[in-house]
Amino acid sequence: MIWVLYRQRLRRDRWQLISWILSIGVLAWFAVEAIGKTFGDEASRAQVLQLATATPAILVLRGLARGPQLDAFTFFEIFSFIALLAALMNTFMAVRHTRAEEESGRSELVSSTSAGRWTPLVTTIVHGLVADVLVAVATALGFMGGGLDPAGSIVAGLATGAVGFAFLGVGLLAGEFFSTSRGANGISSAVVMIAYLLRGFGDATGQVSTDGMTVTAAWPSWISPIGWGQQTFAYTGNRLWPLLLPLALAAVCIAAVVGLMERRDVGASVLAGRAGRPDAGPTLRGPFSLAFRLQQGSIIGWCVGGLATGILTGSLGSAIQASITSSPQVTSILRAMVEAQGTSMTQLLVAALFEIAGILAAACGLQAVIRLRQEEAAGTAELVLSRPLGRARWLGSFLGLGAVSMVLVMLFTALGAWISLVASGDTSSAVGDVWQTAIDQLPAALIYLSLPAAVFVVWPRATIAAGWALLGVGVVLGIYGGMLGFDQKVRDISPFTHTPVTTGAGTDWSGGFWMLGIAVVLALIALVAVRRREVGTA
Amino acid sequence: MDTVIQTVDLHKNFGRVRALDGLDLEVRSGEIHGFLGPNGAGKSTTLRILLGLARASSGSATVLGRNPWTDAVELHRRVASVPGDVNIWPNLTGGETIDLLSRLRGSTLDRAYKERKRHLSEIFDFDPSKRGRAYSKGNRQKVALIAALVTDAELYLFDEPTSGLDPLMEAVFTREVRRVTRENGATVLLSSHILSEVEQLADRVSIIRSGKIVDGGTLDALRHLTRTEISFAQDSVDTHALATLSQVHDLTVTDGRVKFGADSDRVHEVLPLLGNLGVKGLLVSPPSLEELFLRHYGDTVAPAAEAADDGDSHHRRHRAAAQTGA
Ligand SMILES: Nc1ncnc2c1ncn2[C@@H]1O[C@H](COP(=O)(O)OP(=O)(O)O)[C@@H](O)[C@H]1O
Ligand SMILES: [Mg+2]
Repeated sequence: MIWVLYRQRLRRDRWQLISWILSIGVLAWFAVEAIGKTFGDEASRAQVLQLATATPAILVLRGLARGPQLDAFTFFEIFSFIALLAALMNTFMAVRHTRAEEESGRSELVSSTSAGRWTPLVTTIVHGLVADVLVAVATALGFMGGGLDPAGSIVAGLATGAVGFAFLGVGLLAGEFFSTSRGANGISSAVVMIAYLLRGFGDATGQVSTDGMTVTAAWPSWISPIGWGQQTFAYTGNRLWPLLLPLALAAVCIAAVVGLMERRDVGASVLAGRAGRPDAGPTLRGPFSLAFRLQQGSIIGWCVGGLATGILTGSLGSAIQASITSSPQVTSILRAMVEAQGTSMTQLLVAALFEIAGILAAACGLQAVIRLRQEEAAGTAELVLSRPLGRARWLGSFLGLGAVSMVLVMLFTALGAWISLVASGDTSSAVGDVWQTAIDQLPAALIYLSLPAAVFVVWPRATIAAGWALLGVGVVLGIYGGMLGFDQKVRDISPFTHTPVTTGAGTDWSGGFWMLGIAVVLALIALVAVRRREVGTA
Repeated sequence: MDTVIQTVDLHKNFGRVRALDGLDLEVRSGEIHGFLGPNGAGKSTTLRILLGLARASSGSATVLGRNPWTDAVELHRRVASVPGDVNIWPNLTGGETIDLLSRLRGSTLDRAYKERKRHLSEIFDFDPSKRGRAYSKGNRQKVALIAALVTDAELYLFDEPTSGLDPLMEAVFTREVRRVTRENGATVLLSSHILSEVEQLADRVSIIRSGKIVDGGTLDALRHLTRTEISFAQDSVDTHALATLSQVHDLTVTDGRVKFGADSDRVHEVLPLLGNLGVKGLLVSPPSLEELFLRHYGDTVAPAAEAADDGDSHHRRHRAAAQTGA
């Protein structure tokens, strides 16, 4: 029975899994190639490493420094990102096959057959385990393909797979708590992001060796599964015992899931929906308020993400300020790395980390358009559109809400940074600039509102897949493009490449205006074209 | 205005599937019009075009004198509808959904509205404080029905409105539809694939098959076309007198039961004789759409998508015919 269900899942998931696993493998391979090209000799790597360890901001987005050898340096640069991808792959997979199935009622069919109620859980665990083994193989092969030491590459691969598996458990557990796949996906993605940021915080505040070549992570890294993966010290230490931690976490999560499942009915959840009101409140009155009502959970989630990013930015600010004033040489090379012509290191740090918040804002807006598509597919759009409400107004309301939620995410980011900078006693102009920098992120993010909206109008079925794919490509090219050694022309495809950077000398908004213009034109096209489009359910 | 809905030579293609194939439908003001056809005949497609949600491939449709595709927003102020497949928001309660939909129609939620909503919830035995995800199919259907009936409209479009409702609720629905036509002079178009459902309500019916109207008219005319199946326990009853009646057809005796078909519009003429014979275990089954199709179109219910003459659907049609005939 498990085998039957497993085969059905493999068939359903094959393309999705293949693309996740291949992306991870190719990313590993690309990283080695790019680093080999950019920092060919050990001396330049040692220099970069010294700067990095002196600059916590870089450590947040990279990893744990373990020396300047090419293999250790590559692991330092890319592992946390690869582990992040593996983690997301697993949480989505866990929710897709458990809570989403229950929500749709499909699992009721399965649990009433001889498959029983445990079969879907066991099958999902097996499915995840196999996928994570493949992720481990792909990562190891990717690193080996780039010419790194096989033993270390296998350790790096195992670390990626083990971190992924821990998050399979997290996803399964999230599925127990929420009655919707949306809620479960939201919370488990948030846990992944927190794990990433925790290890970033731990790495950034760790103990730097006297030569500046290695860092011993501080405690926050030790409460993050991604941090545990880094502790394998692939290539330099090759120790496997830290991987017992993610495996233990997966086991604990699965045990908790089993305990919770024994206590509940199929379709129920730990956090039950509140008993509702029999009448609508005064605020639920039109398409905009409906859109808000449908999106409020995810907006709150992304705003919390923005706030956390902001606080992190600010709290690192003072540490950097101190380290930079002592070394002008550090400043110059660092600027080249973050690719901005700022006068203050805090500004550079803000610019770099706010770009991450910009991705959050883009994702938040994208979800408003995705909701539109889900409304159409679920048939609730038909209810609304057979009332006196034009299709353009309907689409416009969701776009408006998407734009508002983007602004909110950036506002919370700026607020977090401002509060923590002020609290750390920073009095530089960088403190006031956080608001400007937050606004700087909006043009690129808005593209991810109107571009998917245009896709939604012309090719509705593709909205969700195309939306996330476009965002993924934009992030890889625009934010990691430099590190991966992409050509500037290719990187220019990404809206994030054109994000204005606020520096002491002011802001060059020419790229920003271009992005704004494109976003407005795309939105107008969508609004006009949607009038001519049928409302479908398929 | 006399004609509320008029379609002329309406076509709708989905790729190679012809959902509508020259549909001519006319609905007159103030009537309850039954729109009858098997699954896949094109009822929902027609209603979606009349609502301006889908666009006709060719032909014309007029609703309340206007074009539903270009004047959808104005029309929706005057038209209330229930879709064929009701889906509601999982995180909104039923009551919130009804209120939101009414506000979208432009209603203010005043006292009179609240009273009507409370009354409808009560007669439909509906709890408006549960969240959408907790409702069964029948309860989701009630949300859409209440939302349509709670506000006044000139035209009501119902797509298989009683699917998922139990017989008691069907009766409530029937009563409410009669009320809106009686009190407000509203026009109702009601689609269904069950003959008896439409029979209770409709003044006139149009029968759709494979995207075309194949028959229509008053219910009396329709009754003429159908036979009611009557059966009772044999119990050594002498059936000779029955067999000679002109209203009685195909009298058979199988498994200890006597079975025959009677012209639906003349069933009452047969009943006295049955009473005289003192029959036991009497069963009167209303005519089914399938039976009507079988007898008059030489074909059983074949969805439009399967109308293509491949061997497989042929085979299936044959088997269905054999079953109905037995
Ligand atoms: N969106 C669609 N895409 C493709 N085919 C469709 C679509 N909607 C309806 N059809 C086809 O059109 C025909 C008529 O369907 P429909 O109007 O739903 O019938 P009914 O409501 O009478 O059951 C069916 O064969 C159905 O498969
Ligand atoms: Mg239908």
